[in-house]
Amino acid sequence: MVRKNARQAASPLTEWLPALILFLSTLILWEGLVRGLDVPRYILPSPSEIGAVITQRWQDLVRQVAWTMLEAIGGFLLGSILAFLSASLFVHARLIERSMYPWAIVLQTVPIVAIAPLLTIWLGFGTAPKVVIAAIVCFFPVLVNTTRGLRLVSAQALELMQILSASRWQLYIRLRVPSAMPFLFTSLKVAASLSVIGAIVGEFTGADRGIGYVVVSAAYRLDTPLLFAGIVFSSFAAVIFFLLISGIERILLFWPGARIED
Amino acid sequence: MVFPGSPPVIALQDISLTIRDKEFLAIVGPSGCGKSTLLRLVAGLLQPTEGEIVVHSKHPSQAQRDVEFGFVFQDAVLFPWLTALQNVILPVEILGKRSPLPVQEVEGVARQLLADVRLHGFEAHYPEQLSGGMRQRVSLARALVYQPSTLLMDEPFGALDEITRDSLNLLLLEVWEKNRATVIFVTHSISEALFLADRVVVLSPRPGRITTIVDVPLSRPRTFDMRFLPEFTFLAAELRKLLQLPAEVYES
Ligand SMILES: Nc1ncnc2c1ncn2[C@@H]1O[C@H](COP(=O)(O)OP(=O)(O)OP(=O)(O)O)[C@@H](O)[C@H]1O
Ligand SMILES: [Mg+2]
Repeated sequence: MVRKNARQAASPLTEWLPALILFLSTLILWEGLVRGLDVPRYILPSPSEIGAVITQRWQDLVRQVAWTMLEAIGGFLLGSILAFLSASLFVHARLIERSMYPWAIVLQTVPIVAIAPLLTIWLGFGTAPKVVIAAIVCFFPVLVNTTRGLRLVSAQALELMQILSASRWQLYIRLRVPSAMPFLFTSLKVAASLSVIGAIVGEFTGADRGIGYVVVSAAYRLDTPLLFAGIVFSSFAAVIFFLLISGIERILLFWPGARIED
Repeated sequence: MVFPGSPPVIALQDISLTIRDKEFLAIVGPSGCGKSTLLRLVAGLLQPTEGEIVVHSKHPSQAQRDVEFGFVFQDAVLFPWLTALQNVILPVEILGKRSPLPVQEVEGVARQLLADVRLHGFEAHYPEQLSGGMRQRVSLARALVYQPSTLLMDEPFGALDEITRDSLNLLLLEVWEKNRATVIFVTHSISEALFLADRVVVLSPRPGRITTIVDVPLSRPRTFDMRFLPEFTFLAAELRKLLQLPAEVYES
């Protein structure tokens, strides 16, 4: 408690300063080594070369990454909503859960990179397969966590609702859903990062736009600085998406003690 | 009452008890003798394997549907995402049309109940921001808000320290005088039972049977000084002997 207060009291500058200093010194070291050892550009470009590519092409890069994020967010929404609905179905019908849950777990172990080409064959080179891949990778963590959260209500809370003859809907909406919220958001933050990876994997297997396409074609032409610029932009976008979900979590999980520390 | 399993657990046996309207009945007994089970049977949360329970000439599950019961658990079981006031209002919102109290009036009643349990000024606090004793008082207010005819309390102050427990006992009696309901109060504490109740039921170790029922010869309103009266100390000693008696039973 005391430590937490002390941390909150620290200004953002002192909080972030050590990380910033480490970042800048790494860049300087990197630059120095690349220049000093004369490393070829196609193996490892220096930060200044990457920076030059970014300043030169940032408009195009932003457009490409925005496209990827659109696919990722679409898949994220699709996957998370389906997962939430399935979890809700599971807690109300044990039989459905018993027949489907084990298969959900088995399906989760299939590597997504192996399914991606198949989806491209089925759905073409457009947006659809990317959205679907992002949705698949989001589905499982959200399903598992939400099912757990919806179930994890105390026996006494259930008895309290029974004393009040609450309907199944009231039990679900007033007790189960709010108790599941912290679990849901923990998984949504994981899903946010996964959805970006999913969309990029989808672009690898066939696309004519998106940051995944930029990275693949840059690699093909050994344009390593552009490849690095693509990495920088996609990580940046993933971080922003993560922060967005964290922000929504902060608003929706308003009550003290709600957030599961991570 | 028998719980299935291997071996099956006989939790209660040969229980025959008539509870008077508006009386304060305390139940004491060793751990695991079936006190909570008895409350759950009365509330219609469990069905007896044998025998019959009648609540106001109704079957418990019918009485449950008519929202005759208020239940206070050992843990407060407040919803952490609701403020103290919202927690107290919750039952009326769930009951909707079935609530004896119109939804428009509930906020005023809930505020008054929170004031009665000395929580004025804490209406907007979340459970996490309240102490254990405060949470238990919110839980009491929540059980009373829809004016149930029967209040079932399962060791409501069992997890609290003695000083808090004493003051909550007084408070409970004060609130009970205002909202007269039949109370069945389960406790481990002999002095708590005697201090609060009109009658005390003593249960034997598992399988729980009624060892004895004592009338408490103390006038109301009760005060702490009464605990030093000879009748009080005598009864307390008697009950303690009754509860210790079955030591051989544990060993065999
Ligand atoms: N749902 C259940 N299934 C199986 N056995 C149960 C169940 N509930 C209670 N029991 C058994 O019934 C017996 C009585 O339990 P109960 O909770 O009523 O005791 P208690 O008198 O309230 O004890 P305590 O004072 O420790 O709360 C115990 O031996 C317990 O193991
Ligand atoms: Mg008990």
